[in-house]
Amino acid sequence: MKKVIYKTENLSKSFSSGGAMQHVLKNIDLELYQGDFTVIMGASGAGKSTLLYALSGMDTPTLGAITFGGQVISNLNQDGLSIFRREHCGFVFQQIYLIDSMSVLDNVLCAGLLASKDKKALLRRARELFQAVGISEETQRKFPTQISGGEAQRVGIVRALINSPEILFADEPTGALNSKTGLDVLDTLTKFNEQGQSVVMVTHDMRSARRGSRILYLKDGAILGECNLGRYVRGDEKRHKKLSAFLVEMGW
Amino acid sequence: MRKSLFLVRANLRKAKGQTMAEIVLILLAAGMMNLWLMLSFDYKQNFDRWHQRLNAEHVTACVENSGAALGQSAATDDAGERKETISEILKKDARTSEFCMDDVMCAEGKITYNGGEAASNFIMMKKGDAEKRLVGKAEILEDGGLEEGIYLPMIYKTGDIAVGKPVELTIGNHKASYLVCGFFNSVMAGSHNCSMFEILMTDQAYQDLEGKGYAAGAVLVSVRISDKAESEEFENMLNHEISARYPGTVLASNSYALVSQSRYISQMICSGVISAMAFFVLLIVLAVVSSNIIHYIQENMKNLGVWKALGYQSRQLMGMLLLQFLGITLFASLLGVLLSWLLFPGINEMMVSQTGIPYKIHILPAPLCVTLAVLSGAVALTVWLSARRIRKIPPIDALRQGIQTHSFRRNHVPLDKTRLPLQLALSLKTTLSGMKYNLTICVTMLVLSLILVFSGLMLENVIVDITPFLNLVAGETADVCININADAKTEFLQEMEMDSRVEKVYLYHSQIVGHVGGAELVAAICDDFSQVNNKEVVIEGRFPEFDNEAAVAAKYARDHGYGIGDEIRLNLGEREADYIISGFTQISNNLGKDCLLTQEGFERMGRLSNLSYYINLSKDAKADDFNQEIIRRLGENVNKTQNMLKVIYAMSTVYISLMKVIVAAILFLSITIIAFVMYLLVRAMLGSKKKEYGILKSLGFTTPQLMVQTALSFMPAVTGSAALGLLASCFVINPLTAVFLRNLGIVTCTFHIPVGFVIASGLGLVLFAFGAACLMSFRIRKIEPRSLLTNE
Amino acid sequence: MKTRRFIFVLLLIFLLEAAAVIFFMGREEMPSQDVVAVNKIVKTLENDWDKIAKAEDVPKKGHAAKTDHAKFDYVVIDNSGTVLCKTREHLSETISQAISHRDTILDVKQSEAVVGKVIFYNSWLESSAARKRSAVLCLLLLLLIQATVLAGYAAGLYRKLVKPFRKLEGFAERIAGGNLDIPLEMDRQNLFGAFTESFDIMRAELKKARLAQAKADAEKKELVAKLSHDIKTPVASIKAASEVGFALAESARTQENYAQIIQKADQINSLVTNLFSATLEELQELAVTPDDMESSELTCMLEHADYLHRAAICAIPPCLVWADKLRLQQVFDNIFVNSYKYADTAIRVRSERTGSRLVVEIEDEGGGLPEEELLFIKEKFRRGSNAKGIEGAGLGLFISNYFMEAMDGAFTVENGEKGLRVSIAVLLSGIL
Repeated sequence: MKKVIYKTENLSKSFSSGGAMQHVLKNIDLELYQGDFTVIMGASGAGKSTLLYALSGMDTPTLGAITFGGQVISNLNQDGLSIFRREHCGFVFQQIYLIDSMSVLDNVLCAGLLASKDKKALLRRARELFQAVGISEETQRKFPTQISGGEAQRVGIVRALINSPEILFADEPTGALNSKTGLDVLDTLTKFNEQGQSVVMVTHDMRSARRGSRILYLKDGAILGECNLGRYVRGDEKRHKKLSAFLVEMGW
Repeated sequence: MRKSLFLVRANLRKAKGQTMAEIVLILLAAGMMNLWLMLSFDYKQNFDRWHQRLNAEHVTACVENSGAALGQSAATDDAGERKETISEILKKDARTSEFCMDDVMCAEGKITYNGGEAASNFIMMKKGDAEKRLVGKAEILEDGGLEEGIYLPMIYKTGDIAVGKPVELTIGNHKASYLVCGFFNSVMAGSHNCSMFEILMTDQAYQDLEGKGYAAGAVLVSVRISDKAESEEFENMLNHEISARYPGTVLASNSYALVSQSRYISQMICSGVISAMAFFVLLIVLAVVSSNIIHYIQENMKNLGVWKALGYQSRQLMGMLLLQFLGITLFASLLGVLLSWLLFPGINEMMVSQTGIPYKIHILPAPLCVTLAVLSGAVALTVWLSARRIRKIPPIDALRQGIQTHSFRRNHVPLDKTRLPLQLALSLKTTLSGMKYNLTICVTMLVLSLILVFSGLMLENVIVDITPFLNLVAGETADVCININADAKTEFLQEMEMDSRVEKVYLYHSQIVGHVGGAELVAAICDDFSQVNNKEVVIEGRFPEFDNEAAVAAKYARDHGYGIGDEIRLNLGEREADYIISGFTQISNNLGKDCLLTQEGFERMGRLSNLSYYINLSKDAKADDFNQEIIRRLGENVNKTQNMLKVIYAMSTVYISLMKVIVAAILFLSITIIAFVMYLLVRAMLGSKKKEYGILKSLGFTTPQLMVQTALSFMPAVTGSAALGLLASCFVINPLTAVFLRNLGIVTCTFHIPVGFVIASGLGLVLFAFGAACLMSFRIRKIEPRSLLTNE
Repeated sequence: MKTRRFIFVLLLIFLLEAAAVIFFMGREEMPSQDVVAVNKIVKTLENDWDKIAKAEDVPKKGHAAKTDHAKFDYVVIDNSGTVLCKTREHLSETISQAISHRDTILDVKQSEAVVGKVIFYNSWLESSAARKRSAVLCLLLLLLIQATVLAGYAAGLYRKLVKPFRKLEGFAERIAGGNLDIPLEMDRQNLFGAFTESFDIMRAELKKARLAQAKADAEKKELVAKLSHDIKTPVASIKAASEVGFALAESARTQENYAQIIQKADQINSLVTNLFSATLEELQELAVTPDDMESSELTCMLEHADYLHRAAICAIPPCLVWADKLRLQQVFDNIFVNSYKYADTAIRVRSERTGSRLVVEIEDEGGGLPEEELLFIKEKFRRGSNAKGIEGAGLGLFISNYFMEAMDGAFTVENGEKGLRVSIAVLLSGIL
C-alpha cells in the first residue's frame, strides 16, 4: 500500500466574475501517493491548474479541506502558506519565471536559503542538481535572459527541488518549449521520479501525460476518471494504448 | 489633439495614486512660491503706496530746542528762529521738493512691547497738527473717541495695549500713564525700528506734558526730496548742516532708505525661508516627475511601440506626456495658489503686527502668473528632457519582445559568496540594480537634510537659546546700559569698581559719524574692544586697536569697494580723519551702516559730551534695582539707564514666534515629502517588479519578508544620502543662511551647529523613511502567487 | 554609455588642467601687503620707540610674540640711516636697497614728527622659484594621465571597432557565395554586437526561407490529390444507397427493415409527444434549473424557512451541491410550515454527507404519522389523518418530492424517534 501524502475532501474553488459565481473545482476528493508521478489532464478550463495551485498552497480553496501528511493546510493564511510552500513544495511553472535580475545560481540559492540555514550543504545540493540536469558551471553564472528556454526550465526544476520537497508540482512544464527541449525537461522529471521524487504535473499534452504513473482526468471541476499506468517504460506500446483508450473514453 | 487627450486620460486612470502624490507635491511648491512672491512683491509696494497716500517724507529729522546756536546762549534761542535756519538750509539744497515743520516735544522713551520694552525717540505731537501736516501726516486708523489720551502707532496694537486701556510710558526718566485713544499709521515714524516714533496726543494731554517738562521742545522736520534714492545722502547733509549751526543739539533722524528696509525685516526672513522651501519642493517635484517618466517609458515600452507602429510620431507621444504633466501641474498650481490665498490672511496678520503698516489683501495677478510660469516651465523642461528617449524606441523591437530595458550584466552580491543574511542580500541586489530610484532618493534626502539642518539651526540658535541670533542681529549686548555726562566719568568708574555686582564695565557709545563721500554711519566707540561680550561682531580681520584703525560694516564696505587695509575717511561735523580698515563687522541693527572706533580714534575727530557704558552684572543682581540705585547715587549726571535684557526680550519674542512657525512648517513638510516620495518609489518598484514579487512569493517568501526587503532596498540610498546631506548641510548652512539674511547687512553667519539635533533628525529621517516604505509596501500582500496563473 | 563615460573622463581631465593652469597663473600674482598687520607693528614700534632708540631692546623675529609679527621680517632705521634693530640678517638695510627689492617702507612718528623708518622685507620673490617647479610637475602629470587615457581609448577602439569589421568582411563574402551554413561568431559585448547579430539573423532567416519554400511546394501537390478523392466517395455512396433502396424493396426482409425504421421513428415521435404533454399537464411553470452552490447557503435557507425560530440547526459540512436555490427554498418552507401546522414542537436539523449526496434531516417531536399513511403521504391531494380542521390542499409534499427528484435528489418522509422526519438529499456537484 502506497503512503498517502495528500488528501482532499470536498475541495471546491469558486471565483466570482462579474457578479456571478464561477465554480472551478467541485467537491474533489482525492488522495495522492508518495512516489507517484501523478498527471492531471483535462480540457482547458477544466480546473487543472486551479487544482494544482490549491494543492501546492499557492491559493486557498473556497470549501473543503486539504491535508498534507496530517497537517491541514487549507485553513492557513497567506504567510502560513508561504512557509508551507518553502518547506514542503517545489513548483515548476509553464512560463518558467526565473528572476531576471539574478544569475541562474542566485535564482536557485534564493529559494534554497529561504528554507535552509546550512549554506555548505545547500551549495552541495545545488551542484548535484545542476549536474543532474546538465547545467554547466558557466551557465550557472549567466542571467536567465542569456540562456535558452530548455535550460531555463531545467534551472526551474533545480530551483523547485533545491529544498528537497516532499512533492514537486509542475504546471505544463513543457508548454513554453519546443519539442526537443520539452523532451529533455520531461526526461529530467522522469529521472527524478524514478529516484523517488513524488511529482504532480498538469498537462494537456499527450506526450507529457505518457510519463505519468497515474493519470487523473478532470472535467468541469470534477475528476471524471483515473487510470493507473505503472512505471514509465520508454516505447511500451501497451501502456500507450491503455492511455489512449482511457483518454478516448474520457472524451479527449 | 483629441487622440492625445484620449491617451492622456488612459494614462491618468492607470496612475491615480501617483497623480495624487504629484498633485500634492506641486500644490505645496506652488502654494509656497506664490506666498513668497506675494510677500516679497507686494509688501514693499504696500509701503510705497502708504508712503504716497500719506504724502510721507523721505527724510525726517527731529531737532531739539536745546544746545545753543553759534554765538548765542540757549535762552535767547527760540523755536521760530530755528525753523527759519532749517528752512534756509533746505531751500538752499536743490534736491528739496517739499517740506513741513512742526512744533513737537521729543524725548528718549520706552514702551512695553511684547512683554519687554521697546526704546526709541518719542516724538509727542498734537493730534490735530499731525493729521493736518502736508508732508508726513499721520492717519488715524482706529479711534476710540476718548476725550483725553494718546494715539499710538499701529504696531503697538497688541493684546495689552488696546483702545480704552491705560498704557505706561517712560519719557526720559519719568513714568507717565495715559489712556489709549486709538491707533494711527505713520510711515516714517511708526515703529521703534525707525529710530523714532510719533505719539499723538490730545491737546490737553500735550499741554499737561509740556507743563511737566519731561520732554524738551523740538522741531519735527519732514522733507520730500526729488529723488528718493538720495535720501541717505540728504539725511547726512541735513544732520551735518544742523549740527554745524547748533553744536551739541540732540538730533534724531531717519531716511526713506533706512525705514523702508527696517520695517520689513521679519517679512524678509519669512519670505526668504519660504522661497527656499518652495524651490526645494520644486526640485523634489522635478526629480519625481523625471523618475516617473522614465518608469512610465519602461513600463509602456510595448504600448509605445504599438502607437509608433500605428503612426504616432515621437513628437506626438512626447507631446502627450507633456500635456499630461502640464495639465497636472497647472491644475495643482492653481490649487496651490488658492491654498496660499487661504493662508495669506493669517500670515498677513502676523506680518502686519510686525510691520505696523496695515495691508489690505487683494488678489495679485503677477505672482500668480510667475508661479504658474515657473512651475510649468520647469516641469515642461524636465518632461522633455526625460521623455527624449522615446525617440530612440524602434517600433519593431518594442513590439517583438519589449526592449530589454535592463541589461543585467553584473550579478551584484552573489548569494553563494556573500555572508549577508538572505533578506539583506536580496535588498542589496535590488538597490544596486535600481539606480534611478536611488537618484530620486538622493535628491530628496539631500534637500530634506538641508532643510532639517536649517530648522535645527533655528531651533538651537533662536528658539532654545536666542543669544547666537541676537549676537548676529543686535550687535553688542550687556545687562545694563547707563549713559552719563562726560564730566562724571571718573566718579562713575570709581563707583563701578566698588560695586560688587558689577562684573565688567566698558564704554560702548554709539555716535553718528559721516563717511566723507558716503552715507552716515553709526559708530560704536569702545575704550577696549577686548572687553566686549559679542566678539562675533567682527567677521573678518580684527577689532580696531589703535587710533588710526576702524572696523566697518562688511556690507557697506563691499558696496563701496573697500577692503581690509584700505583707508576710509570719516567726519564729525567739520573735522575729518583717515582710518585704516582693520576688520569687517556685521550688525543688522543699522542695516549694515556702522563702524567701530576706539575711543582714541574717535577723539581724533571730536569729543563725546556724554558716555554710554555697558555693564555686565553678576547673576543675582537685578538690573532695574541697580539702575535705580545708580540714578540715586550719581543724580543728575545720569542721563539714561536701560535694562537691556528687557529690550532684547521684546525684540526676540517676535523672532522666536516667527521661527517656531517656520520650524513647525518645515518639519511638517519634510514628513509629507518623505511620505509621498516613498509612496511614489514603492509604487513604481512594485509596478515594475510585480512578477518578481509573485515568483518570490510562490517560492515561499512571506509578505512581511518582502515588505522588509523592499524597504531595506531603499535604505542604503536613504542612509547614505541623509548622512552625506546632513554632513554637507552642516558645512554649507551658515553661508547659506547668510545669503538669506543678506539684506539685513549680514554677510557671514556663525551659528552653532546643533550636533545632537542633526544626529537625532538623521536617525529620525532614516527610521521614518523605513517605516513609510514598509507601510507603503503593505500592498505587497495583494500580490498573490495565483496571479502567475496564466490560462485559467 | 561607455562613450559618455569616456567623454566625461576626458572633460574631467581637461577641467583639471584648466583649473591647474588658472591656479598657477593666479598664484604668480604678488599678494598685497597686509596693511593692518603692518600698521600694528608700526604702532607698536612707536609705543616702544624710546627703548628701541636706545637699542636696549633689540627686536628679534616675533618681537612682541604676537602672530602678526611672525609673518614679517623688518629693519628699523633712524633718520640718520643707522640700523636700530632687525629681525634677521640679510635684509635690506638702506632705503635704496629696500626700493630695489620692492620692500615696504614706512615712517615711524613720535608726536607728529618722523623719527625713523621701518623697512618690511619683501619675501615673495624667494619662494617663487619653488612654486614654478611644482606647477610644471603638476601639469606634466596631468598631461601624462591624458595621454594614457587616449592611448587606452585607441587600443579599445581597435579591439571593438576594427577587429569586428575584419571578421564581418569574411562573413559577407561567404554569404555572397551562397554558403548559408556557417554562423557568424557573435560577441554582444562589442560595439557592433547588435549590428552583427542582425547580420546573423539575416543569414538564418534566408536559410529558413529556402527550406520552407521547398517543403511547402511538396505539401501543396499532395493535398490537391487527396481532397479530390475524399469528396467523390461520400457523394457516390449516398446516391447509390438511395437507388438501391428503391430498387430492392421487393424482399420481405428489406421491407421489414424499412417497416422497423418507420415504426421506430413513430415510436420516438410518440415518446417525445408524450413526454412533452405530460410535462405540460401539471408542471408547466415549475421548471427546475439546478446549479452549483455552496452548502453554507443551505444554512441560510433553513434559517430563512424557520421563521418561528424553533429549529436547532447543526453545522452543514462544507461542500458544493447541485441544486436549484429557489425550489429548494420552497421545499424547506413547505416542510417547516407543515411542522408548525401539525406538530408545533421544537425541530432538529442535522445534515451529513453520504456518498455522493448531502442529506439534510428535519425532525420534529409531534409523534409522526401512522405507518400506512406514510406510504401515500407524498401523493397528490393526500393529507394526513391529523389534518382535519387545518386548511391545506395536500399538494405540498407532492411538489417538494417532484422538485427534489428534478434536481437528482431525494425526498423521504418517515417516522423518527419523537416525530416526523423529513430527509432531503441533494446531489453533490461534480458527480457526473
